Amino acid sequence: MAANQANPAGAAPKAELAVTLQAREGFMLGTFDAMASPCEILIETDDKQLARQITQLACSEAKRIEHKYSRYRADSVISAINSSHGKPIPIDDETFRLLSFANTCYQLSEGMFDITSGILGKVWRFNGSDQLPSQSDIDALLSLIGWQRVALTANTVTLPAGMQLDVGGIGKEYAVDRVATLVSEQAPEVSVVVNFGGDIQVTRRRLNDQPWYIGIENPLKTEQGETLVKIFQGGLATSGDARRYLLHEGKRYSHILNPETGFPVEEPPRSVTVAADSCTQAGLLATLAMLQGAGAEDFLASQGLTHWVYR
Amino acid sequence: MQLNNKATVASALAGAACALLGTPAAQAEEGMLKDWQFDTAILYYGETDRVSLAEGVINATKTNDDDSIFNVKLVLDTLTGASANGAVAQPYAQTFSRPSGKDGYVVNAGETPLDDTFRDTRVQVSGSWMQPFADTWRATGAVNVSTEYDYLSLGLSGLLEKDLFMRNTTLSAGLSFQFDSINPVGGTPDALTSMLVPTYLGDDNDEGEDEFEWDDDYEEGENKTGSESKTTTDLILGVTQVINRRMLMQFNYGLSVVDGFMTDPYKLLSVVDNAGMTQDIIYEGRPDSRTKQSFFWQTKYALDNAVVDVSYRFATDDWDIDSHTIDSRFRFNLGDNDYIQPHLRYYQQSAAEFYRPFLNQADPLPMYASADYRVGEMTAYTLGLKYGHKMENGHEWAVRAEYYQQDPKNAGFDEPGVLADLDLYPSVKAVILQFNYHF
Repeated sequence: MAANQANPAGAAPKAELAVTLQAREGFMLGTFDAMASPCEILIETDDKQLARQITQLACSEAKRIEHKYSRYRADSVISAINSSHGKPIPIDDETFRLLSFANTCYQLSEGMFDITSGILGKVWRFNGSDQLPSQSDIDALLSLIGWQRVALTANTVTLPAGMQLDVGGIGKEYAVDRVATLVSEQAPEVSVVVNFGGDIQVTRRRLNDQPWYIGIENPLKTEQGETLVKIFQGGLATSGDARRYLLHEGKRYSHILNPETGFPVEEPPRSVTVAADSCTQAGLLATLAMLQGAGAEDFLASQGLTHWVYR
Repeated sequence: MQLNNKATVASALAGAACALLGTPAAQAEEGMLKDWQFDTAILYYGETDRVSLAEGVINATKTNDDDSIFNVKLVLDTLTGASANGAVAQPYAQTFSRPSGKDGYVVNAGETPLDDTFRDTRVQVSGSWMQPFADTWRATGAVNVSTEYDYLSLGLSGLLEKDLFMRNTTLSAGLSFQFDSINPVGGTPDALTSMLVPTYLGDDNDEGEDEFEWDDDYEEGENKTGSESKTTTDLILGVTQVINRRMLMQFNYGLSVVDGFMTDPYKLLSVVDNAGMTQDIIYEGRPDSRTKQSFFWQTKYALDNAVVDVSYRFATDDWDIDSHTIDSRFRFNLGDNDYIQPHLRYYQQSAAEFYRPFLNQADPLPMYASADYRVGEMTAYTLGLKYGHKMENGHEWAVRAEYYQQDPKNAGFDEPGVLADLDLYPSVKAVILQFNYHF
């Protein structure tokens, strides 16, 4: 934990920056793997050198955030908090901002978006199996859920013993926006698309005001591939359960869990895609829409933002 | 789950996301209120010693969730000043009657006759709706109404657009129909009939005003009828092609068919003798049908900090007016928030077959004739500069200053007697000033 704090930049070793670069019609495409997703950087330039630089910058920032916030890495900030046994853990400004954002989402959703609810994953296995957990198992875990029991200050976070944090629901979108911010500082004149597995941010409009065309996952069209959406600037994010669900006695259980009941949300859409100013905003709106279950469309319509819902 | 104040979730999240990323929240809010956009402009156009025009424009555009666009525009302008009436200058002072037939005006020796009664206010309202459908199609419908003291114009149009090849190509087809009606001050004069001219009595009365006397047998409205109208049907076919990520090209073909009254009821012609002296002043007359074709090519090229926009138009019609227009704009970005844009336009046209700077008494009266310099041979150019600035709140303003000069040319007419020493083709010089505000 202390070691973690000593290296806030978390600079990943050079060897891990395995990026590839290809020239495409009108732009360069940089790719790498991070956060368990294929990551793509579309750069409107012919300058190979610049494109490589931008892709490497994106890759190192993505890996830095992954290292810092993955609950699967023993040396991450999240692992340090999760193994703190109720003691306060010192946090840096970035972690404070991320947890404050999670707090805002908790408040806005009246407890439905809760980064302490990931613990339910211990009993729910959304791998296409047909096994439902027992009510007693769920009840045992429900007592370990509740963001309101976490004490957050600008310098420390205190997590009650036995509880766990999982920022997986905001980490990837945050990484996309962070990368987009860094890239626009580095190359303010170039239109760049940051696409981490469907969570997308465009840094600025293209030169001739053409949109970028980006495929988004459409669970109804798996044979035809993806739905192509156009995006001029801003963020786009998708929340869905295309492959993560559980079938029990003919009923489909979504991986979107209600932290109050410990059961999947009833009748959520297969996928929700939202366009907003930032990827983080879009991602949370998509997640909140999923949490509304049958009310997802009504919720999105009331927000006045462009969106796509597939059921 | 019931989210309180559902509609505020998106904006609350926008603010929270900005706090997370350490960027100012104002940027996000601006993006959310962008569905209505307003453009306002005031324009001044002033010709040296002639017409001046002041115009105000308000243009509001709303982009809806389904990408459909509603647009409404209001234009108000007032025109004052003098316009060439079509008669030639003479070595002596000339007297003309005003269009109302109730008064007259005097033009000094050697000067191009200008009618200084022009004073009009025009109100124009137009609206359009663009609806995308079936992913790659767009349909637009528009209506417009424009009224002046003596003029009413009603228009209806439709446009269909189709995107092809990953939206790199757009085909468009448009049809519009316009009805115009004119009810000239003092009635519509019969073509090529004489203008009844009063006798100038001088300005030595009490008020110092010009006084005129009419013949005893003069009747107001003589040789004049009521209102007239014309209809215009336009067809436009176009292709827009993205050449590469920096270059865009557009080709349009236009066919325009006009039927009805196209004579300018306020324009005159001098009938001169072999010595070039005016013997009669008659009203002009133009054909009542006109078919015009135009070919338009435009290219926009984006450089790193500049945009080049060049276009060429060729138009030809069955009045024998062929015109060429070259229009170019170069926009240079000065940083992120400012730009300057020089503008250069060159225009050239040949004269209509019925254009006559004057008529010769010895020649038989033609079927149609007009001395209006606007249907004569001419070249014109515009030189301009625009400066635009985007403010911190996202609003934009721009100022534009332009100089316009129109040089009518002699399309091969002999100038008998005294006309040889007079300037029959004076240039028209004008300045244009415009201020735009976009929010």
